[in-house]
Amino acid sequence: MLVSLSWRNIWRNQTRSMVVVFAIALGLWGGVTSMSLINGWVKQRMNDSIRNEISHIQIHNPQFLQNEEVDKTLNVDSITSLLDTLSGVSAYSARLKIFSMAQTDRANSGLIVLGVNPVSERALSGIPEKIIYGGFLEGAFKIPSIVIGKKAAEELKLVNYEITDSIIKRLERNDEGLASALSELAGKSYRSRPALIRDLQATLKPSLFDRWADAIADSCAGYRLNTPVVLTFQTPTGEMHSAMFRVRGVYRTSNTAFDARVAYVNLNDLVPVSGLDPGQVHEVAVICSDIRKVPSVAKSIASKFSHLKIRPWDEVSPEIALYSALGDFMGMIYVVIILFALAFGIINTMMMSVLERFREFGMLMAIGMNRVRVFTMIMLESVFLTFTGGVVGVLLSTTFVMIFSHTGIDFGMWAEGFEAIGYSSVVYPHITFANYVQITFLVIVTGMLASLWPARRALKLNPMQALRIE
Amino acid sequence: MAIIEVVNVDKIYNDSDVKVVALSGINLMIEQGEFTAIVGPSGSGKTTLLNLLGGLDTPTNGKIRVGDVWLNEMKGSKLIDFRLRNIGFVFQSYNLIPVLTAGENVELIMQLQGVPAMQRKQVAAEMLSKVGLADRVSSRPAKLSGGQQQRVAVARALASRPKFILADEPTANLDGKSAESLLQIMEHLNRTEGVTFIFSTHDQRVVSRARRVILLEDGKIKSDFAQ
Ligand SMILES: Nc1ncnc2c1ncn2[C@@H]1O[C@H](COP(=O)(O)OP(=O)(O)O)[C@@H](O)[C@H]1O
Ligand SMILES: [Mg+2]
Repeated sequence: MLVSLSWRNIWRNQTRSMVVVFAIALGLWGGVTSMSLINGWVKQRMNDSIRNEISHIQIHNPQFLQNEEVDKTLNVDSITSLLDTLSGVSAYSARLKIFSMAQTDRANSGLIVLGVNPVSERALSGIPEKIIYGGFLEGAFKIPSIVIGKKAAEELKLVNYEITDSIIKRLERNDEGLASALSELAGKSYRSRPALIRDLQATLKPSLFDRWADAIADSCAGYRLNTPVVLTFQTPTGEMHSAMFRVRGVYRTSNTAFDARVAYVNLNDLVPVSGLDPGQVHEVAVICSDIRKVPSVAKSIASKFSHLKIRPWDEVSPEIALYSALGDFMGMIYVVIILFALAFGIINTMMMSVLERFREFGMLMAIGMNRVRVFTMIMLESVFLTFTGGVVGVLLSTTFVMIFSHTGIDFGMWAEGFEAIGYSSVVYPHITFANYVQITFLVIVTGMLASLWPARRALKLNPMQALRIE
Repeated sequence: MAIIEVVNVDKIYNDSDVKVVALSGINLMIEQGEFTAIVGPSGSGKTTLLNLLGGLDTPTNGKIRVGDVWLNEMKGSKLIDFRLRNIGFVFQSYNLIPVLTAGENVELIMQLQGVPAMQRKQVAAEMLSKVGLADRVSSRPAKLSGGQQQRVAVARALASRPKFILADEPTANLDGKSAESLLQIMEHLNRTEGVTFIFSTHDQRVVSRARRVILLEDGKIKSDFAQ
């Protein structure tokens, strides 16, 4: 009955209680939303990073990890025969990893060249699905293929920027003034993005330029497929070797730094020119069926191959694991700060409600309600009030998260900054059940703490004086 | 043995600069089954005396026994628990919790006493029917008249099975008819069930129903007679 009494008590002044409930709900909504965004963002970064860059487990010759010298290889056959039988392994790819200088007709740049089996790589990595131009390594050509990142393509000047009539037509739909302003540049072609941007700046009004320059540059970028790229690298014997490839595809991930450095070629094309024996690779990347199986799979591999270095993803990239933990922590801090601010509103409401009922408390204490019960009643009221706000807030947030976890929220305006540090511009908010449990716990604790002061006031009251009618 | 014994009690309020002697030299015995009125003009010390009898306040000098316990030997939660189990209270106003129904208001005190839920419901209904409110069990206080509210308070006091019921000016806020009917109910309970009532009043019609009248003046017992 104390429970139902407390519940009814908080609805005595409905307006006042509703204000508090909605303040808490909105506060929590803000807190949970930012938490889910941070979480979603970090999780996405983690997934992207695992899928495109590091995989779940990496296997190396430990010496290779020290200086990445080309002759520090491992024998692939013994490993693949284990991986084929190990449960929990869903895909693996054995790679050569060679640092080379890449040269095109217009520029040169350093690349990390991965020699991969296209079929294995496609099963393991997200890169083949990130192709924005051309294709991946499948398909037979006389001159071997190379697939590079968008940023590398720009650095190697493999992009032509051509302002065609069809692009102008398309832009016309967005902004009429833009089309006429651009007609001056129609048919022009540029070899680099800065050159195009410079011309756009000279031609367009500042307002149009600010708004459209990047979009124009993106839409008129054309990659020069089949352009020859000469790779030069050191063989195990210390000689320099060169080989020609043709660009057959350009990929783009959310991590610009990765796109600038990593290129893919066919393992069979790389082995003969690398000076290494067939069957030797530098790295085996493994994806497990579930990230939670990683430790046990890593352990099974390590027990068979004690001479190799087996690193789970969080060892390969500790900062990713750290961000993930940090994201949770920051979200919680945010929720705590919001609840702390709300606590003052709750204290104020509870205090008013206690002061209004001084005579009633006097009566209850006179007829025999002891301090523990009075205290419990006030605390329950505060917890109910806070908890109601909490439930409404969690419902609001869940709705928000449910909607946007499918559609994502596009932070395109600031996308360039995000992508430079490896984060996608579209964020899918994400929140776990554990997060909700933590939030609920914090909400209840806040309610309890906020009831202490008002309850103290009620307990200090003298029933005889409270009842004396002046 | 008398259920209440008051021995040489003084009550002096000292909280402001002036000290107020609210009661002085009170000696009093109250027996089981009495129906006693404490009367006197406003400020004569009626409320003070009832508060002392009910253990809501402590005398400056002297001592008070209720049943076989001296009240000055108890403090804090022990005293609250003693009140809960031994003394029924009816106040002039603010008796009831507005968000609880009449029945729940009566049940509340039994819950505090630890009576099981089933029994509580049954007793509450029984007590409310004793004060003529059988049909108002699920009404909230705001839906009841002042007289009905006071009757609910009496039912609540009864439900706790106290040694006696203290009522400080229970009719002060009631019209004549309601006051009359409340007194009738109290008297009936006293006569048929032996419930001890000690009530204060300055209403002459109420006084006339009492069987013993203690007259206070300036904190002293001026007269004490049966009628
Ligand atoms: N808390 C208090 N502090 C100071 N004086 C008080 C207090 N309570 C009562 N008194 C004084 O004690 C006297 C008796 O008061 P009270 O018992 O309320 O009389 P009654 O109920 O007969 O009107 C009055 O003079 C009153 O002013
Ligand atoms: Mg009085």
